[in-house]
Amino acid sequence: MMKLSKADITTRQAFSERMLEYGAIDKNFVVFEADIGYSTYSYLFGEAHPERYFNMGIAESNTMAAAAGMAADGRTVIACSYGVFISLRAVEAIRTFICYPNLNVKFLSSHGGLTPAVDGVTHQATEDIAIMTTLPNMKVLAPADTESAKKIFDVAIKTPGPVFIRLMRDPLFDIYSKEDNFEIAGSKTIREGKDLTVVTYGDIVFQALEAADELKKENISIEIIDMYSIKPFDKKNLLNSISKTEALLVVEDHQKRNGLGYELSNFCLKNRPVPFDNLGLNDTFAESGNYYKIIDKYGISKKHIFYKVKELIYKKRGGK
Amino acid sequence: MDKKSQNFEERVQYLKEKAKEVRVNIIDMIFTAHSGHPGGALSAADIMTALYFDILKIDPNNPRWPDRDRFILSKGHACPVWYSCLAMRGYFPIKELKTLRKFESILQGHPDMRKTPGIDMTTGSLGQGLSLGVGMALEGKLVKKNYHIYVILGDGEINEGQIWEAAASANKYKLDNLTAIVDKNNLQMDGFTEKIMPMDPIDKKFEAFNWQVMTINGHNMKEILIALEEVKKIKGKPVCIIANTIKGKGVSFMENIRKWHGKAPNQREYEIAIKEIQGGNDEIK
Repeated sequence: MMKLSKADITTRQAFSERMLEYGAIDKNFVVFEADIGYSTYSYLFGEAHPERYFNMGIAESNTMAAAAGMAADGRTVIACSYGVFISLRAVEAIRTFICYPNLNVKFLSSHGGLTPAVDGVTHQATEDIAIMTTLPNMKVLAPADTESAKKIFDVAIKTPGPVFIRLMRDPLFDIYSKEDNFEIAGSKTIREGKDLTVVTYGDIVFQALEAADELKKENISIEIIDMYSIKPFDKKNLLNSISKTEALLVVEDHQKRNGLGYELSNFCLKNRPVPFDNLGLNDTFAESGNYYKIIDKYGISKKHIFYKVKELIYKKRGGK
Repeated sequence: MDKKSQNFEERVQYLKEKAKEVRVNIIDMIFTAHSGHPGGALSAADIMTALYFDILKIDPNNPRWPDRDRFILSKGHACPVWYSCLAMRGYFPIKELKTLRKFESILQGHPDMRKTPGIDMTTGSLGQGLSLGVGMALEGKLVKKNYHIYVILGDGEINEGQIWEAAASANKYKLDNLTAIVDKNNLQMDGFTEKIMPMDPIDKKFEAFNWQVMTINGHNMKEILIALEEVKKIKGKPVCIIANTIKGKGVSFMENIRKWHGKAPNQREYEIAIKEIQGGNDEIK
């Protein structure tokens, strides 16, 4: 395959740059920040549109509840913070005052998964997908590169009700081009294959691509689906793919429990049972350190995908 | 009712009569539902009556009128008082009050902006209402409208730290279109506030956050009206009215008794309560 290159900027920056651009087109939405504007890059919007930018300080619960108050009569609000704080500290305000009345608040959630690897566990959002997908009315999106992050801004702002967008601390590899389109309940088959389907999202898409190259050398062909729309997810593409490959591996930078893997295993069990496994944090917290070393130690890297794919294919072919 | 055609005394007298009706409805609803929170609903009844029958700029025929004043009952469990005011103002038929807390009712156990006409914001989880009000006040400033946002807080729920996050943010944005009214009935679910979690002096706390603070007798209709009219004249800062009240006010055996926080009266208690409310008009002096 063509060698992918690492983007110059992070998905959080790409998303916020698009927010800035979009702010000139759509004069109606406002942005709430909780004092990490220079990290979420929401400050770009704040400098251009100070009257539509509200920095509420280090007070995430108040930020989200105030966003609800502002959205109560229909206004769209983009509320920015880190995944851990949005999904944990502020979650009750989000559940009861944004999701329950189904208000138009979109969450720019940075530092998803283990990408804040060096920051350590306090800043690693490894339960955010479980929590956010559980909230009724909430939709959850996770772009895998800068191009999709920009496009997904547009998807989020045009989608009614609350939308959580999982962005990353570090630059990811460029996967998509300007011609690619994204939509709610959409997915991208970025590699076609016949032996097994790998479903993943965000930073792990690149790990899956790397694993696919290694597997190809052993004549194993895997299909890779970037499930960037985590809730709702693309049932049709998943069903078509597993009907063809008859094996599914879900890999995510998140706890295994109650992540996308749990959701898709449930779906398969009901609709098309196939050999299945998932990779993710195995009921554990991670630690500080180099991102690549961390995802490798905790079982989410290309090496783990490589071996798990082979194991599942062996199972599929009748091995024990 | 046209305020201009009435002098102050007439307005006060009218509101006192309305407050009795509001209280009767509260007791009636909770008795019918066999469930609900009478104590905190009764303590807020006079303030709510003044708001809904005199102060608020609202249109019951157009509950989402963009220019309306907004109201948030942060202590959402006291919602029978809100439902009572809304029904009496014609947002929905009085007979709906009998459906409180019942299956598929428009009157949920705690206020729901999607189910009840006239409810501007869902509430019920304590400590959140002032933040919600801050957001609404920012919206009012952004669209340059003159509507005002009133939030009733319980003196128990100000234990929640988020109240003070909201107080700080209202100061930052100089939200003079936001008024918090603390229904200071000195009781929370487990007992007297001074025993469970002392928050006094509440006035000094809000003042420290740069709010304008007034303290009134929350059962004296004259004081309530004067304070609520004064509020709109204060520019450049948010206002907090500390309303000294009695939990269970108007029903002698409920007054200042912890257990009436969340308990429905039985048949005999119901009959005595209704009689007392209809008979009496005893303002605390």
